[in-house]
Amino acid sequence: MTETHSGTAVTASPNRQAIAMQLKDVAVSFNGRTAVRDCTFDVAKNRVTSLIGPSGSGKTTLLRALNRLHDLTSGAKVSGHILLEGTDVYRGDLTVTELRTRVGMVFQRPNPFPTMSIYDNAVSGLRFNGIKKKALLDEAAETSLRAAALWDSVEGRLKVAASNLSGGEQQRLCIARALAMDPEVLLMDEPTSALDPIATLRIEELMTTLKSRVTIIIVTHNMQQAARISDDCAFLLMGEDRAGELIEFDTTEKIFNNPRDPRTLDYTLGRFG
Amino acid sequence: MSEILNESIVALELGDEAAGGYNPPAASRTWYHYLLLAGAILFAAVSVGFVGTIFWSSLPTWLHHAGTLLGGKGWASPLGPFGGLAMITGTFETSLIALVLAVIVGLGTSIAIVFLIPRRFRNVIATLVELLAAVPSIVYGLWGLLVLAPWMETTVNPWLNSWPFAKAIFGNPGQEFGTSLLLASIVLGIMILPTFVAISREVIAVVPQDLIEASLSLGATRWQVIRGVVLPTAKIGLFGATFLALARATGETVAVALVAGGVANVQFHLLYPGTSIAAWIATVFGESQGNEIAALMALGVLLMLLNFGLSLVSRWLVRRQRRVLALV
Amino acid sequence: MSDMTEIQEPKEVGNEMRGEIRRISSHSRARRLAVSRMMIALCAIALLVSAVPLVMLLYQLFKQGLPVIDKAFFTTLPSTPSLIAPNATGGVSNAIVGTLALTIYASVMAIPVGILVGIYLAETESKLASSLRVIAQTMAGAPSILMGLFAFSFVVRDLNVGFSAIAGSFALAVLMLPVIVISTEIAVRNVPNTLREAGLALGAKPHVISLRVVLPASASGIVTGTILAVSRAVGETAPVMLVIAGGFTNSWKPFDPVSALPLSIYENAKSEWPSLRAQVWGIALVLVVFIFVLSLSARIWASRKQQVKN
Repeated sequence: MTETHSGTAVTASPNRQAIAMQLKDVAVSFNGRTAVRDCTFDVAKNRVTSLIGPSGSGKTTLLRALNRLHDLTSGAKVSGHILLEGTDVYRGDLTVTELRTRVGMVFQRPNPFPTMSIYDNAVSGLRFNGIKKKALLDEAAETSLRAAALWDSVEGRLKVAASNLSGGEQQRLCIARALAMDPEVLLMDEPTSALDPIATLRIEELMTTLKSRVTIIIVTHNMQQAARISDDCAFLLMGEDRAGELIEFDTTEKIFNNPRDPRTLDYTLGRFG
Repeated sequence: MSEILNESIVALELGDEAAGGYNPPAASRTWYHYLLLAGAILFAAVSVGFVGTIFWSSLPTWLHHAGTLLGGKGWASPLGPFGGLAMITGTFETSLIALVLAVIVGLGTSIAIVFLIPRRFRNVIATLVELLAAVPSIVYGLWGLLVLAPWMETTVNPWLNSWPFAKAIFGNPGQEFGTSLLLASIVLGIMILPTFVAISREVIAVVPQDLIEASLSLGATRWQVIRGVVLPTAKIGLFGATFLALARATGETVAVALVAGGVANVQFHLLYPGTSIAAWIATVFGESQGNEIAALMALGVLLMLLNFGLSLVSRWLVRRQRRVLALV
Repeated sequence: MSDMTEIQEPKEVGNEMRGEIRRISSHSRARRLAVSRMMIALCAIALLVSAVPLVMLLYQLFKQGLPVIDKAFFTTLPSTPSLIAPNATGGVSNAIVGTLALTIYASVMAIPVGILVGIYLAETESKLASSLRVIAQTMAGAPSILMGLFAFSFVVRDLNVGFSAIAGSFALAVLMLPVIVISTEIAVRNVPNTLREAGLALGAKPHVISLRVVLPASASGIVTGTILAVSRAVGETAPVMLVIAGGFTNSWKPFDPVSALPLSIYENAKSEWPSLRAQVWGIALVLVVFIFVLSLSARIWASRKQQVKN
């Protein structure tokens, strides 16, 4: 494991696993003002990597750079390299629509499409990508709903409007929706922060099962959650210049028990929020 | 002009329940409250009077000549019979065609305003749309009559008549009529465009960013996001915008009076002159007496029912749209 | 707790299915992107198409209207051209005076009542208030010719006043009223509740709060609404054409017949005299410029106040 002495991030996967995504000196700025910088680490395959840190540290900004959501924002600039299986996500040979079928996203507040049924929501990704064959859609719907632990609950009422589900169920529907396209990586932006504790627990359990089929990168402001579910952890902190930066990246075990940087220790001990 | 208003009303309906509203107990009511109440009652009286007077004046027609008014084909001043069928069909034809034109162009315009124009220019565009709406009906009518009609007569109509199915839609008038139902429809379409755009823009803009991001994250193209998520989510409100634009089309008077040709013929061929309810009232009222006035008032009642019905449906739809948004 | 189901092991995704999904999606990608670009381009075209009529109209207005406008235009009474004097159109002073008179009388009738009702609607929650709100919105969209019919029945006939400025003003007042009511209500509602609560906390009575706190705060919104209503009234032909009988003098008297700018356009647009038709463009130009100035000021006023508020 390499280490730089200016106190910035540790690079490379801690355990030399297969790599799903690589970040090299990634920085995001809006209209010239840097929001997050110095992000260099590798996301290992089939593991849960969490981005943790107090609010304002740029975790969500970094996450959204991974599926190029910042393309929507005028004035946003992403520098550095983000590689998906070796291909540069911004400058490589990859259309943004294709990227997003390989890197899916689940959002903070459950957001199923309100005018669509459960079934339609689940297969919406496939439909967007030109798949119309009913047999395919049916199969994908069942697979993804099972994977999201929602199938038994909704099997008989697939045509019902998605808004009839509870908050936790809706979020699982959104997970199913993202999984239906069979992505390599699943980005999750504080997926349980709007849910009650029981629903939260279910989704955490789900993530443990899911990582065998997708690599998960999750932003969470809940440290205990990160400790519970993630294999690797990236700790970000807002610097003096009000830009977030990566402080440390390592296995969760090390981050919480024996971190390199004193600031990491302060955070995990709850010395600041 | 009421476009800015429509926009504000819609924004209000779609937004949070606004502030204000307390009803103090009777004991603490002061002169202030009674003054407000008096104003409210006066307004109520004016509104009731508005509906009542027109209806009352039209009573003779409803009692004795209702059938003629609703189904008769000719309008024979000054003694009758007064057949309103030509005005009724004319109103529907011109309004519906205008609506189709306005919705097609207006929907594209609203989408462009919300998704293509950078935020800082939106205010400018909104102002331009309002200016379009601020032009008085008479000026559109004037422009239609003196500029568009001659152009229709010399250029457009002959070209339209050369189409394969021309005769079925346009008829084959021996001569070219510059002022026709078609021209009236086009001018009306231009006039109701800002109405539609003002509301649909608002309705489209409040579709939550969440949903847009979610669909993009699934690999949807921009158009798929608009067509598959934004428009369906905004659908009910868009219908509301449609109904309101239609309501406005039915009520436009002088523009139609000047460019439709002012002929009381039941007419389904668009290149012929015709009229609408409002335009006809404006055209013949000046010279009319007695029974004819009652008949015109009866036409007014029809117009009122049509317009009010469309307006109310529109408001109801916009309110239902709000409920859809609340589900997100 | 029916959603407590067993966590399923992810069903083995048939490689066949996965492969086919990938295949179809990359196969169709180029086409979908092309369709997207095309449709978005069409929307941009629609935006341009919307702008075309306005540009064309303004062009004609200025091109044909400017030459006609001079001092005499504003100050002389109209005259009828004749064969020996085909350009003797005179001016439109009667219409200008008429429009001014009508607007002022209508404003006097509509503005105070409208503001009162608007405040009432914003501050009361009762059946009457909600009914009036619906009524106001409906009347705001009502065809303006109906106001003319109302004024005819009520003022000209029942009150036996005859064709007069007051009848026309009444019609315009009924037209303006809902607009003022709605915009006043919106303006008052937009005053943040915190201001009201602050007043209540200081022990002020509700009506004092309304007069001293809420009204001043909403004044700019009310002014904007009033300007809008006036600019609409100025341009309306239908409500007045039925009841004012197109006077030919510069009279201000409420019970006399009177003319109005939109009406004189209507009367002369179909004239056989080219000089009168040409003059009509001048009237239209004056009308449009006046209305534009009014609505732009309303907008600027509203947004400046918004900035101050922010």
